[in-house]
Amino acid sequence: MPKQFRHVNPSAGESRPGRRSHLSLLTGSTLYSSHWLDLFISLPVLFVIVVAFLPAIEGIVLSFDHHGPSLANYRAVLGDRLFWRALGNNLLIPAASLALELAAGLCFALTLAGQRGKWTAAAEIAAVIPFALPEIVLLSAARYIFMPHGYLDGLLLAAGLPALPWLIPGRVLCWVTVTIVDAWHVTPVVMLILIGGLHTIPREVYEAARMDGAGPLATFRYITLPMLAPAIVAAVVLRGVDALRIFSTTLVLTGAEGVPVLSTYAFQLWSDEQEPRLAMAASVLLALLISTIALLGFIWLRRRQLLEVTP
Amino acid sequence: MKQAKAAMRLSAGAIKTFLLAGAAIPVYLIIKQALTPELESLAWPPIWLPHRLTLAHLRAVFAVRELRSAVLLSLFVALVTATLATILGLIMAYAMARRSRMRSAGMGALTAARLMPMIAVALPLVLVLNRIGLYDSSTGLGLALIHTAIAIPTTALVIFGVFANIAREQEEAAWMDGASLPRILLTIDLPQAKGSVAAAFVLSFILSWDEFGYALLVQVTHRTLPPLLYYYTVFGDVGPASALALVMMVPAVIAIVALRPLLGSALMSGGRR
Repeated sequence: MPKQFRHVNPSAGESRPGRRSHLSLLTGSTLYSSHWLDLFISLPVLFVIVVAFLPAIEGIVLSFDHHGPSLANYRAVLGDRLFWRALGNNLLIPAASLALELAAGLCFALTLAGQRGKWTAAAEIAAVIPFALPEIVLLSAARYIFMPHGYLDGLLLAAGLPALPWLIPGRVLCWVTVTIVDAWHVTPVVMLILIGGLHTIPREVYEAARMDGAGPLATFRYITLPMLAPAIVAAVVLRGVDALRIFSTTLVLTGAEGVPVLSTYAFQLWSDEQEPRLAMAASVLLALLISTIALLGFIWLRRRQLLEVTP
Repeated sequence: MKQAKAAMRLSAGAIKTFLLAGAAIPVYLIIKQALTPELESLAWPPIWLPHRLTLAHLRAVFAVRELRSAVLLSLFVALVTATLATILGLIMAYAMARRSRMRSAGMGALTAARLMPMIAVALPLVLVLNRIGLYDSSTGLGLALIHTAIAIPTTALVIFGVFANIAREQEEAAWMDGASLPRILLTIDLPQAKGSVAAAFVLSFILSWDEFGYALLVQVTHRTLPPLLYYYTVFGDVGPASALALVMMVPAVIAIVALRPLLGSALMSGGRR
């Protein structure tokens, strides 16, 4: 069987049976110049292009179509007050969520980084759990916790306090709840990235600072923060784009109309209003928003020369 | 100085408690609601410790057709996704590790793919899938295709690290002996990368198992678990919803235990939405 296999081996085109002569190296036909590598890279890339990019381009084309090429869809979307509310939320919630994640993640990382022991290990594993659990499971639990007469109201009642309108749309508190839940399951990830960054700062630097009489605040400002910058940038880059794509958090907690963001707005146009072309116009605007912010961030990081750490 | 240290230890303790509670409370509430009668879950003031236990909700997950078929469909889609994404990620990682120009091109393409919002891809994708008969299919193949596309960056990055570190001398020797490149990949590189290939498989399985947005838009009647849990949470009943959530947590827990050493690097390589 193996013998036969050798004779009909279709891949034997450039690998004739037996040893290759050293000449093949001289003629430039080396192992890594083989066409197999071209195939290896192009198959997955083509797959992604066909499944994700081509439909996206079709979506862009359709968003300009209204009985022929026109801007009518965009005019309709831009004239909708709900769109502007969704756009506002889509900027405010990610910004607040990212700030909360960074602040909390940094606090957690600074206190936990120097520690070792059973409870630290347990806390680190616990930190991963909200991230590893399906997002929708966490959101389902969050809904039961924050809903009227939910577990949180129960806690308030036990403490003798009145219930609060955690998820009543239109209130600032509802907006805060959405932000906290959005930050909840990724703060631990930010923390782990920052702990990783803290571990790369050599101990000698801190000792030198102490010898020079630097207090804890000065040490943080002039040593920890600048040396942690690459990790902070990595966390912001990783999380920032994700935060702008916010969808399920508001959909599960408040519904598409409670705290609209651009993704839920487009989803609502698509599934409730049956306006596919308007929905595509709205989602193209979201894609445009994300690319613009990513591009501006990229340019800013380049200028500050902070980019060498990001992939 | 002593005071500062004590304060530090105290706040560290508070943060650990906070992290543990943040993870434990939602998990506990889901398990409690899944195992108690609905009257207890909806009681006011809320009941924190179960009075009566029942397996009815969990049994329903496997007895009611809508729920059982969602479990099976989710499993199938996740398995197809993990298989495809691991194979495609494997060959892509190899090409990226062996030719530096492909590394930058590959990374560029993957970064661009990560920028696209789900909704901007999902809506037109529905039209495309509808055309080729894979929209809302009972096999979930259309959903598996898009899940594979979003999982490839993760699998490629996870496997890439190992391939980049495998010495090339061994490959060169095999090449001189007349082995073809796929053969070299299978017999020399794959055995050394077993661990991270398995990790890539598990990660892409979980990615598909957890994915909500595309599943909500592509599988509108043949639902997978995440959209079904969404509808049960928003419109349906606490008991079955929590039982579904409990079932959905199982693979995640297995993955955490199996992949603990790898979690750090995996977390760095991808977001979720």
